[in-house]
Amino acid sequence: MKKEFSQAELAEIKTKDNKAFKGILIPSSEKDTIFIKLKSGYNIGILKSKIKGVKKLGKIKIERPEATQHKHNKALPTISILHTGGTVASEVDYSTGAVYPRFTPQEIVAKFPELGSAANIHSKLISNMFSEDMRFAHYNKIAKEIESEIKKGVNGIILTHGTDTMHYTSAALSFMLQDLPIPVILVGAQRSSDRGSSDAFLNLASAALFIAKTDFAGVAICMHANMNDNDCLILPGLKTRKMHSSRRDAFKAINAKPIARVNYYKQIAEFLTHDHKKISKGTKLKVHLLRENLRIGIVRSHPSMHATELKAYSNFHGLILEGTGLGHFPVSKIDQKTGENEKILSEIKKLAKKMPVFMTTQTIFGRVNINVYSTGRKLQEAGVIGNYSDMTAETAFVKLAYLLSNHKNKEEVKRLMNENLHGEISKRIVGEEEFL
Amino acid sequence: MNYQDLGFKCGLECHQQLEGHKLFCRCPCLINDENKPDIVIKRKLRVVTGETGKTDEAAAFEMKRDRKFIYEAYSTSSCLVELDEEPPHEINKDALETALQVAILMNAKVVDIIQFMRKTVIDGSNVSGFQRTALIATDGRIQTSKGEVMIPTICLEEESAKKISENENEVYYKLDRLGVPLIEIATDASLKDPEHVKEAAGIIGMTLRSTGKVKRGLGSIRQDLNISIKGHPRVELKGFQDLRSIPKTVENEVIRQQSNIKKEIRKSEVRKVEPDFSTTFLRPMPGAERMYPETDVETIRITDDLIKKIKIPELLTEKAINLEKRYNLNPDLAREIIEIPYFEDFVRKFKNVDTRHIAQVVVEIPKEVKARFNVNTDNLKETDFAFVLNALNEKMIARSAVVDIMKELAEGKKVVLDNYKTVSDSELENHVAEITKKNPGASFNALMGEVMKQLKGKVDGKKAAELIKKILK
Repeated sequence: MKKEFSQAELAEIKTKDNKAFKGILIPSSEKDTIFIKLKSGYNIGILKSKIKGVKKLGKIKIERPEATQHKHNKALPTISILHTGGTVASEVDYSTGAVYPRFTPQEIVAKFPELGSAANIHSKLISNMFSEDMRFAHYNKIAKEIESEIKKGVNGIILTHGTDTMHYTSAALSFMLQDLPIPVILVGAQRSSDRGSSDAFLNLASAALFIAKTDFAGVAICMHANMNDNDCLILPGLKTRKMHSSRRDAFKAINAKPIARVNYYKQIAEFLTHDHKKISKGTKLKVHLLRENLRIGIVRSHPSMHATELKAYSNFHGLILEGTGLGHFPVSKIDQKTGENEKILSEIKKLAKKMPVFMTTQTIFGRVNINVYSTGRKLQEAGVIGNYSDMTAETAFVKLAYLLSNHKNKEEVKRLMNENLHGEISKRIVGEEEFL
Repeated sequence: MNYQDLGFKCGLECHQQLEGHKLFCRCPCLINDENKPDIVIKRKLRVVTGETGKTDEAAAFEMKRDRKFIYEAYSTSSCLVELDEEPPHEINKDALETALQVAILMNAKVVDIIQFMRKTVIDGSNVSGFQRTALIATDGRIQTSKGEVMIPTICLEEESAKKISENENEVYYKLDRLGVPLIEIATDASLKDPEHVKEAAGIIGMTLRSTGKVKRGLGSIRQDLNISIKGHPRVELKGFQDLRSIPKTVENEVIRQQSNIKKEIRKSEVRKVEPDFSTTFLRPMPGAERMYPETDVETIRITDDLIKKIKIPELLTEKAINLEKRYNLNPDLAREIIEIPYFEDFVRKFKNVDTRHIAQVVVEIPKEVKARFNVNTDNLKETDFAFVLNALNEKMIARSAVVDIMKELAEGKKVVLDNYKTVSDSELENHVAEITKKNPGASFNALMGEVMKQLKGKVDGKKAAELIKKILK
């Protein structure tokens, strides 16, 4: 069975200097150019101003094989794959170069046969977007979709996601999905799945293996452990961050340990921590949605800062500060040149009166401590909270959104921000000889 | 053999490595990086499902093997780009310019807008699973003794990684070569016979070298051939190390195809060229290449203005004729001299040395040393030649000493010029007088032999002969 999925226009282009190019016309955003895919497979661009004529030679149908149906196997767990976008499940049309998504369960299993042997696969497209475009509304939509899949009785969920903000989403879902009875594993890819070297295959297969083989319940991220195609890590949803713009192993646990290590080829999933939450049929999921119109900012301290940078947040609901070192902003006037710093302090004071202002550190690793230097003490006096927290700015941001959405009392929000609710604040950070 | 009657069809594909840095990152083009590999990564490649519905025999062949690829990387010559851990950087503009120069030299038509493509490669030789390649120009031509040969395409692409070893489960590659710019030049299938194939390959190589930007040495240019005769499907021959092996190998392939036809075996395949001019099976012929745009690289507009600004290098063949005239060299010597980039520098620098003698020092004498003493002279460098020529220029040594000095240099010895110092005219006179006295009645030849033996490399033979003649009178 074949099914047609697109059409392409065959044409011959004659140029003014008497060249003739025959091939498939490729849509392009460059207005003065026609791109054509030659028989050799190469695309070239021809300037319209140099073209004598274009002879259309008719349309050709481009077909792709239809995926075969897979039968439900009672012996295997059922995993729902929810797609939010990214290139995990996209495929290239080699005749035009266009990328198109393949999201039906059959297509997913056809593309990743190893998933079909590990579990019965359900698949659903929630959105098809870059993760940097996400808003709180999308977190709500994802949470509701997960809830409805859980009601159907699936054993685990894989959420495919663009990697840029995957750690924000994993943190958000960790707060929003309370008493989660099953695993929800976020999976991304740093290399798109149109190429043979894509990390998507191993990340997906490892996530499915982890779901099928272990008793883990909760939100986590599954990505490559290193540059090799062997181990993947299961990383804690609340304490993970994208630490590299392009490497496969970009995601690292921050001030925490990875939950587990998975080797798909050896079919091994090994826990690296001992206190993970376990699957429980009895618990009932409670979904706490976010207020979609919340305005929460993140502002980063830097030398020669200006008070106006903070002023912009005066009508926000909450603010995360990314301080230097232990959690510092330039707030001390020490000579004639540092007058602006006083204004910064007074601006922070004003903001902290209106909303929770929470300190994190731009060092990423380590804990905030605003007792050590006078700068920190000034900030505390100004109303800044966050002392002793080791949350990343991203997790703190999401937590503040979650608390502001679900608690009316601002003082209660401030108190809970400093408290560990679901593992977002480590009580202890243990020593490692090298932390990076 | 009458190749026309056999329906001989043959096209040539030349791949030439360029000097400088890699095509899409700033790593140097260090082929055979001598440092130790300090990064080893293990990868799997997935064969992404085809679109045509047809099974690609080559893809199926590789997929069945399901092998692990182990890449040895050198931080001196590869970065995250080669490891497929970072997107490509901006294109190497020098490499692009060289490709455009070659296109112009071959009278090809440069495309308006260049688009880099991802050509799917599944044997592991590209870490990403694809090779970046772009069509730069079409419809070129070269002149051969048997008429014009068309050059339908000139491409600029990335070199693949070099295979080190393999077993059933793993293939080992080195990453130093991966990403080096490569110009690919393809002829049409009109090459007429084995000698013609060699001639065309020679002309293409010469044109590429004319840019002065190409890599030299073993493996820096590779020729692939597509050959068929009437009744036999196309066979690709890969891995020619030397142009001289082309005619014999082509002839053998034609004989092989003839015997295949008799045995009713008609297989289109890729074969590897062996040193004894035979070929062995390498892999099935790959299907139509699957290519899709490399969206990480911007398209490149080639404006008329840009083309006008490109300096067109003199073809080496033209340069040889000019050198021949300018320095009164014999044509064979001139053809070898053009391959030596520093020759004209030497002419300018060493004014006291006759130009023809400079040419001999850099071309002929190394050959003589190799032939007479069986010493490898390939490692003689520009600085070695300059050392010898400077000594000649400063009249510190005689011409007759050059062979011995070059031999010592080639052997890697430290040369003490004092050992070769020329004897002054008065010293020479004394020597000759003494030898004549000691050997009364000896012939001119015997005396000459004795003088040269004693003062080997320190005197000008002509001068010694004159002196002996004078005394004998």
